[in-house]
This record gives sequence, C-alpha cells and structure tokens, in this order.
Amino acid sequence: MINLERTNTELNNEEQLDLANLTDEQTAFSIENLDLHYGEKQALKGVSMRIPKGQVTAFIGPSGCGKSTLLRCLNRMNDLIDNCNITGEIKLEQHNIFDRNVDVATLRRRVGMVFQRPNPFPKSIYENVVYGLRLQGVKDRRRLDEAVEESLRGAALWDEVKDRLHDNALGLSGGQQQRLVIARAIAIEPEVLLLDEPTSALDPISTLVIEELITELKKKFTVVIVTHNMQQAARVSDNTAFMYMGELIEYSDTNTLFTTPAKKQTEDYITGRYG
Amino acid sequence: MTLDTNIASNKAGASSIKKWTKSGSPMIWLTSGAVSISLIAVLGLLALIAWRGLVYFWPSTIYQFDVVNPKGQVEMVIGEVYETDMIPAQRLRENGHIIADGVTEVPSLLVKTGNREFVELDFRWLLSSTIKSQEVLPNLAVFERNKNGNFYGTIDSITVDSKKVTGDMPTLIETLDKSLERVEAFSDEADELQSGTINSINFKLERLRLQQRRFEIDNELTPDRASDLNAQRKALNDGYLVHEAALFKLRNAMTRDFVTVKDMRGELVDINLSNLLSFNLPNQMNVFTKAGHWFVNIGNFVMDDPREANTEGGVFPAIFGTIFMVMLMAVIVTPFGVVAAIYLHEYAKKGVVTKFIRVAVINLAGVPSVVYGVFGLGFFVYILGGSIDDLFYPEASPSPVFGSPGVLWSALTLAILTLPVVIVSTEEGLSRIPISLRQGSLALGATKAETLWKVIIPMASPAIMTGLILAVARAAGEVAPLMLVGVVKMAPTLPVDGNFPFLHLDRKFMHLGFHIYDVGFQSPNVEAARPLVFASSFLLVTVIVGLNMSAIRIRNILREKYRSLEH
Repeated sequence: MINLERTNTELNNEEQLDLANLTDEQTAFSIENLDLHYGEKQALKGVSMRIPKGQVTAFIGPSGCGKSTLLRCLNRMNDLIDNCNITGEIKLEQHNIFDRNVDVATLRRRVGMVFQRPNPFPKSIYENVVYGLRLQGVKDRRRLDEAVEESLRGAALWDEVKDRLHDNALGLSGGQQQRLVIARAIAIEPEVLLLDEPTSALDPISTLVIEELITELKKKFTVVIVTHNMQQAARVSDNTAFMYMGELIEYSDTNTLFTTPAKKQTEDYITGRYG
Repeated sequence: MTLDTNIASNKAGASSIKKWTKSGSPMIWLTSGAVSISLIAVLGLLALIAWRGLVYFWPSTIYQFDVVNPKGQVEMVIGEVYETDMIPAQRLRENGHIIADGVTEVPSLLVKTGNREFVELDFRWLLSSTIKSQEVLPNLAVFERNKNGNFYGTIDSITVDSKKVTGDMPTLIETLDKSLERVEAFSDEADELQSGTINSINFKLERLRLQQRRFEIDNELTPDRASDLNAQRKALNDGYLVHEAALFKLRNAMTRDFVTVKDMRGELVDINLSNLLSFNLPNQMNVFTKAGHWFVNIGNFVMDDPREANTEGGVFPAIFGTIFMVMLMAVIVTPFGVVAAIYLHEYAKKGVVTKFIRVAVINLAGVPSVVYGVFGLGFFVYILGGSIDDLFYPEASPSPVFGSPGVLWSALTLAILTLPVVIVSTEEGLSRIPISLRQGSLALGATKAETLWKVIIPMASPAIMTGLILAVARAAGEVAPLMLVGVVKMAPTLPVDGNFPFLHLDRKFMHLGFHIYDVGFQSPNVEAARPLVFASSFLLVTVIVGLNMSAIRIRNILREKYRSLEH
C-alpha cells in the first residue's frame, strides 16, 4: 500500500488531538453544515468539521469531490464565481466569515492561499514578496527588506535568489516560483495558509522541497492542503479529511485514516480501488 | 498501345496534380502570393511618393532654349525641364504645325521659366520641333525669392550701398554671397523682433483690452484700475514705438542692396536682396554640391513656414500641427478609453445591456469620419465652446475664443472617433490576463480596485498601447472631420508659443493632410504645386510612421516587462 513508516514515526511525535471534540482555542476553522451550489449543481453537501490550529490538515478525494471548493470557501475565493450560493457557516476564531460586516480583503490577509500553478506577478522577486505589505501601506524600506529576507528564508528560497532579488520573478523555475508564491503569502503573516494542490504542476524534486517546507511552515501557521496525491497527504499532514461527491466521508488523524479507515469508501479510495 | 500510354500518362498527370494539391503547396503559393502583392503595393506606393516628392529638392539643370515662336521669330527661353510628354504628330499637323513625314510622335517639354511677374505663366510647354537650339550655360542662375517664386537669368551686376559692383562671375558671386548673408542677418533680426517682441506686446495689449472689458462688464472699473490699465497700456505702446522704429530701420537697411539680373527677354531686372532667399548656379554644381543643396532644400522644406499661398516654402506649421493635435488626442483618448474598457470588462454585469453597449461601441468605429466632424462642430464648437465663452470669456464677445473651431476641438473629435479602437483593444488585453494572477492578488488581501491598479492594468498596458497605436494611425490620417473643427489653410501662429499660458488650445492649426488637399486642389498654380503634393504626402507618411514607431517601441518595452504567463 503506502509506505507510512517514516511518516508514522514523525506523526507519533506530534500532539494527538481529538478532532471530534476540539476546544475553541484549539480550532482555527469551524465549519457547520456547509452547502454550496454552483447554479443548480450542488458541490458541497452539509460539510461540518473543525480544523485544528497549528497543524497540517489535508483534504483528499477523487477529482470533482469538492475538496478545492471547500478550501476556497475558507478565504471566500468562491465569491469571485458569479452563480455560487453558500449556506451554513464557517467560523474563523469564532467569527462567521460570511457575516455581512466581514471585510473580505481583511479575511484574505488572515487566510493566505497558494494555488495549484505558480502565479507570481510579472514583477521583480522583491516586489512579489512585498506586494501584500505594500497593500497594507508599509513603506519603510528596512521593514520591507527584512520581510523579504525573512519570508524567502521561510520559503526556503533565500539562498537561491538573494543575489537577484530585483530580477523578474518569471525567470525562476516552476518550483522556485511556487516557493516564491509561498513566500509572498507568508510575508503578510497570515494565521492560516491554504495550499491548493501546491505541487501538482511541479517536478518530483521541487515537490520534495515544498513538502519539507510545509512541515516547517506548520510551526508558525495553520496549514490546510488539498492534494490528489495520497502519499503526499500521508507524508505531510497531521489530519486528513476524505471527501467524496461533495460530502465529507471521513475525517481523522492521518495515521488512523490511512491505517484503519472507518468507512468502506475511504478504504477503497486509499487502496486505489477507485478514484 | 498509344492509347494505353496516353491513359497512363494522363493518370500519372492527374495523380501528380492531386499529389501536389494534397501536399499543401498551392495554399502556400496562394497565401504567400497575397502577402507579396500587399507588400509590393505598399512599397510601390511609398517608392512613388518618395521619388516624386524627393526629386523636387534636387537642384536641376537650367537650360537656355532658342525657340521659334508662331510668328516665326526666334525667342529665348530659360528654365528647368519638369517633364516630357509625347504628342501625336497627327494632332499637331491638324493644328497647323509643320512636322516631317514619317514622324508619329513629337516630344514636348514642360519648362519652368519662373519670372512670374513678366510672363503670363511660369510654366510653358515647348514642342521639340520648335526648339532650334538648347544650351547648358554655366552662368545661368536661379534666384529663390520671397515673392513671385523663382527667377532665372544671368547675374549682371550687384549694387551694395548704392555702389555698383561689376566684374567676372566669381567676384560677383562672392559679393552677392556676402551681401546676402548680411541682409539675412538683418532679416533674422527683423523676424525675431516682429514675431517675438512685437507680437508679445500686441498679445499683452489685447489682454489689457480684455481685462478692461471684463471690469466694465462686471461694473468694477474703478478710476484706480482704469488709470492703472492706461499706464500699462502706455508703457506697452511706448515700447512698441521703440521696437517699431528699430524694425523700420532694419527693413530700410535690408532694402538698400539689390542684384541686377539679365533675364530671358534680354532685359535687366533688379532683385532686391530683402526679397531674395537664396541663389544657385546649378549648372556649375557637381553631384556632391547638388546633394548638399538637396539636403539643405529638404531641411528648409521641413523647417520653414509656407509662402505664396502654400505653393512655396516649407510646411513646418503643418507638421507641428499634425503632431501636436495627434498627441493631444492620444492624451485624451487613452485614459478615457481605458476607463470605459475597464468598466465594461471588470464591473459591468455580463448581460444583454453590456453586450448591446459593446456592439454599439464597436459599430461606432464604422461611422464615416466626416459625421464625427459634423458632431464635433455642432456639439464641441457651438454648444461646449459657446458655453465656455459665455461663462469664462464674456469680455471677448462678440469674437469667440473657444466657440470657434480650434485644436482642442479637433483633438476631442478625433478622440471620439478613435475611442472604439482603444476600448476594443484594451478589453482584449484585459481578457488575456490569466485569472490566476487576479486570484493571486486577491488572495493577498487586495481589493478589486487594488488588483486592477497594481496587476491588471500594468499587464494590460501593451494591449492599451496597441489600441493607442491604431488610434494614432487612424487619427493622423484623418482630414475630413478636421476641416469642420479646426484646420485652416494658413495659421498665423502655432498652438504653442512664448506668450502665457504658452499652450493655446483655442487656436486653429495647420495639418499636413489638409495641406496636401489645399496645395493639390485649391492652389492657383497647379504645376508648381504638384511636387509639393508628393513631398507633403511623403512627409505625412513619414510623420505617421514615426509616431507609430515610437508607440510600437514603447509597447515592445512594456511587453518585455510584462511577459505574459503562458501556462
């Protein structure tokens, strides 16, 4: 099946949380009865779950199961889609993010996101990293410089680009671009980092670098990752949610989910019988 | 046997044609042929107008002909040969000319004889059968004059400070060169005085008059103010008198010298040096001196003001007017079009109304340009300009300031004309930006407006530039609407000068396109104007190409900067 030995030993060092009974302090997101329709089509059906703080939570499932849609609900990226209807609620630190008085820009500042394909702006590496800070009105050159170095180090890119910070970011390789995008996201110090299949467009070596980076990132941020790669979920996440046809089938700590899945569907999926 | 081979070869032929068709070569030939024909058409057009236009500036040989006139007398004709035409001998015989048998065609020369004040026409057709002899004399000179066009003849003597100088040709030329230089220095000084200082005094006097009128209208003309205005006016008038005296003195100094020339009738004619711009002896020039003169002539054409109802001199005001108006238009149309495109593409709901608006905008590009001219005259000049005059310039009434055609209204009219082009290309540019970049920006906490400003518009800037290039190309070539909203045959002043506020958008201006029309079709002297039409056309094309090239250069720099993320 999957080689879990390494991940298991690592996971055993982590604090095991009881996902069913998380306290409010331990929770980053609390999702209640979330339904989402794209026009007539229902993409999410009554999803309820709590995503713990300071850990890596992975969403897995076959294509079109709604895992990316759920992720995009967490920073309201679905707002951009015209005929998207959402009912239910998502609470970030006990506040419903769908409330009328929530400023979406502020929410997105707290919940950063990295997309499937690297999408650096056609600006210099430096300008890419400070983009979010400049939006917040930071002008102090020293603060920006510090933020750039810190974020690029945090994204394990500093050593590769420190001599060409003012070169165009589009000159970087795909893996470097994706790390740059991560650096750009962590430069504004969000509470949560959403990763939407961050390695699907990358080669194996870049994938490995990003995966190592994720384990580093969780020391500072809550990480939610969508992946179609089960090995990746097993390697990097603490908790895993398996979704199928818009429903949350099973959600538990990664170890349990991959070794002793409770549901038949989960077992079929992780053993490769469908999906 | 033969039949069989025939069929076989036919089959082979048919199949080889089929094979050839299938290989795709016909398509390649067809498409490349279309490209070649377009290319040849464009290059041919450019080559023709360049040749016909530029050859005009080459110093041409001056011939002296002995011609038998209808009365049987021999007459001398001096001039440049402009072109040669073949005339059927039959027609000439019918008109009573004696042409030798067996000759079917007789060449006829168009000769520019100049000396306009002494002959009916400064162009003349000479039948080669009437030409007794033809000579290229080295001492024939051409004099370019301020008034009455060129003069052809031989220098006889020169009068400097009432002293007559005679002698051999080199001495005469040297003396003439020297005194011409001196007179030119005077003339430059006089021009400077006239168009600079005196013009500025007149401008200030007019301003004072308007100021006083303004006070009168508002009932605020206190005695203090009146006396103050009068004092200012007196100071200006005193200054004017001083400068005027200086100007007259200069003018006097200029008119003292003259050159005496023997013309083709054999009579001596005095040409005042103040009326003389330059003189040449083209028959003594070699290729290099001619090339030097050619460049000088082109330079004068580009840098000088027109003379003699635009049939002589340069076209500088027209070049300036064209470029200035197009740039003003670009400054107006770009922000306007970009903002409209952003609304249509980014904010408007995607529904029937938006679709309708978009179709309407695209169709605006198909409205004939003269209709825009009529609209510009009716709306901008009369309504908008009229209201501006009523509100801000009541003192100038009844003469209009903005209520008459001017460069601002021309630029605005052309801006509306080219607006669809800018909107369409900007929208295209906006829709080409990958959605992932918008999401990337939004995910970092940017609002939609911030995303637009910081990411989308910079990335769409090459497309905006493309729209601008198309707009400039279209606007620079438009003449019809401009005739209604601001172009004139001869503008006394440029829209930009040294008088406050330096930019006079209410002024009328000259335009190369209109200049071509005017010189070619409205000129009293068609033969003289024809080369100027070609030269101006070539210049107009050069100006448009130049404007486009600079815009394309900017676009390429932007493209390089925002190399699109093609995933």
